[in-house]
Amino acid sequence: MNVAVMKTKAEQAISESFEAAAAKLPGSAAVKERRAQAIGTFGGLGLPHRRIEEWKYTDLRANLKEVLPAAVEDKTPLTIGELIVALGPLAHVDAHRIVFVNGHHRADLSDIADAQGLAISTVGKALQSASEEAVANLASTPAGGDAVEALNTAFMTDGAIVDVAKGASVAKPLLIVFVRAGSEANAVTVRNLITVGEGASATIVEASVVLPGAVRDAHFNALAEVSVGKGATLNHVLSAVDEGKSLHLSNCEVTLAADATYRGFQFSSSLGFARHGANILFDGEGGKLDLSGAYLARHSEHVDNTLVVDHAVPRCESRELFKGVLDGHGRGVFQGKVIVRPDAQKTDGKQMSQALMLSEDAEFDSKPELEIYADDVVCGHGTTSAELDSDLLFYCRSRGIPEKEARALMIESFIGEALDKVEHEGLREALASYAMQWLGRSPRG
Amino acid sequence: MLEIKNLHVKLQDEDREILKGLSLTVPKGEVHAIMGPNGSGKSTLAYVLAGRDGYEVTDGDILWNGESILDMEPDERAAKGVFLAFQYPMEIPGVAGLTFLRTALNSVRKKRGETELTTPAFLKLAKEKGAKLNIDIEMLKRPVNVGFSGGEKKRSEILQMGLLEPTLCVLDETDSGLDIDALRIVSEGVNALRSPDRAFLVITHYQRLLNYIVPDKVHVLADGRIQKTGGKELALELEKSGYAEYTNKAA
Repeated sequence: MNVAVMKTKAEQAISESFEAAAAKLPGSAAVKERRAQAIGTFGGLGLPHRRIEEWKYTDLRANLKEVLPAAVEDKTPLTIGELIVALGPLAHVDAHRIVFVNGHHRADLSDIADAQGLAISTVGKALQSASEEAVANLASTPAGGDAVEALNTAFMTDGAIVDVAKGASVAKPLLIVFVRAGSEANAVTVRNLITVGEGASATIVEASVVLPGAVRDAHFNALAEVSVGKGATLNHVLSAVDEGKSLHLSNCEVTLAADATYRGFQFSSSLGFARHGANILFDGEGGKLDLSGAYLARHSEHVDNTLVVDHAVPRCESRELFKGVLDGHGRGVFQGKVIVRPDAQKTDGKQMSQALMLSEDAEFDSKPELEIYADDVVCGHGTTSAELDSDLLFYCRSRGIPEKEARALMIESFIGEALDKVEHEGLREALASYAMQWLGRSPRG
Repeated sequence: MLEIKNLHVKLQDEDREILKGLSLTVPKGEVHAIMGPNGSGKSTLAYVLAGRDGYEVTDGDILWNGESILDMEPDERAAKGVFLAFQYPMEIPGVAGLTFLRTALNSVRKKRGETELTTPAFLKLAKEKGAKLNIDIEMLKRPVNVGFSGGEKKRSEILQMGLLEPTLCVLDETDSGLDIDALRIVSEGVNALRSPDRAFLVITHYQRLLNYIVPDKVHVLADGRIQKTGGKELALELEKSGYAEYTNKAA
């Protein structure tokens, strides 16, 4: 049987793109072999589509029409000044910084000199090294049968490898910045590896930003593998701000050891077509998860947040709060699956997903799923969608605030509840500023 | 001067008339109380003055300083000096009190042709005015009214009033949900704003509030119309006899 005839044009083009790029993609022979395996895995799976339950509302096959060439190298000039412009409000956050432009590390733009407690290196270098460990760590496809993750393994060029030392308490956040710049429409594929040592704590931000004037059509595929050690805490912020035309695919695979805490936040603003996946595994008792997000979509933008929280062991706590603002024909998708395994007694899980609908043409699809196999657990979920509260609008206007500004204030109020989950004040304010820019308001001085 | 002339109001999606030819005049510098039984149209009057959606004025007019305000949006009315202290102040989760106050104040200042306040100047003013109402800056950093007690919410309304410096202050059941101490603080806040340039319309069900905010005139509102007007002693009379006389008349 010839599988190829079943392929869509885009699937065919992806395979061809891999053939064209393979020689230029970084990595030893062992890495190349893993890449070839991954593209084979992808070939078998194809692009996910609406008949696959997990992709019911986000039909990637129907929406990925044109395959862009892989960004195997990058020579785009980018100055520090331009980087600051691209970062916008995030530039004001006092942070360590490692920068990638179009998927390639730029030491000249990075600033990690005094990052005590953090060991930072790059995926690009690790792939080139012949170390078997590097190959095993990087070239695996974590969840197995996921087509987007398989593509990530096949095409990844670079990314950050961060080790937080055992017991270290890193005060300054680390920004891992992915900048899109230049005029070439490319597919950028990056991988990050974050390991937080026992008892350590750190704040790490993965920020995807665009230099104003850069090509608007672009594909971005990011995969983060995160391991939080025993008793450790990671604050992990994923922020993607774009101009409404790009395809963003991101996945986050998180494993929590005993008594570990993971506070994740996913922010996105004006992504063309986006899917953020997060898979969280409780691998030791007493783990805590606080996963939240805020997303803003208008025109015909599409943002999907899909989570799988796996309570594989007893006595863990999970909280999820996602808030979306949808205008125009914007579409928000939330899928939150919480699995409580038979042994996972004393699990405490709560989930909430809310959308604010600013237009009659906006769409919100929410699918909470609880799969509970243990009997001594507390689990709940809720989902709401609503328009702006007209009583609240009147209250603001009766105080002299013009309608447009009152609406913006109320939208801020709506997502503010989610943003409050970001503990670091500077980061929280930067995300709030992004949101205000989306609303057409100048940030407060 | 506030002039309400033969005001007829109904709900937009119902035929039943709520205000049935209400006429009332409040000169600047005076405090007028409106008292009346539940369902007499007191809150409707307050909302119509502030410009809330959902009501339809079928006849009559409302003039503020000689100018009709009926076609004005709520924020325009606020800029013209109209302020409604809500019976149930709204909670705005996610918006800090200071942000809300500053946005409101600078909006009205802009419309009144005044310069916007800088952050330090605003903070100084908010601290000053807040202190008189027992509202500290920490309270204002919290989201607007969220988790506030009844008394805190009403104090926060009066602070808004003090900052926006309206010339027509409408207080809708400001005494509801207040204990004696809170009532005193709120009343002192209101009394401090009394001035020859300012008119007050104090809407209340009970006479108690009027011990603290002493009115120049008391109007009895029942069945959508002013049934009787008198001095402050009328409030005491009502406290004794109740509204039966007026509701019977209405029925």
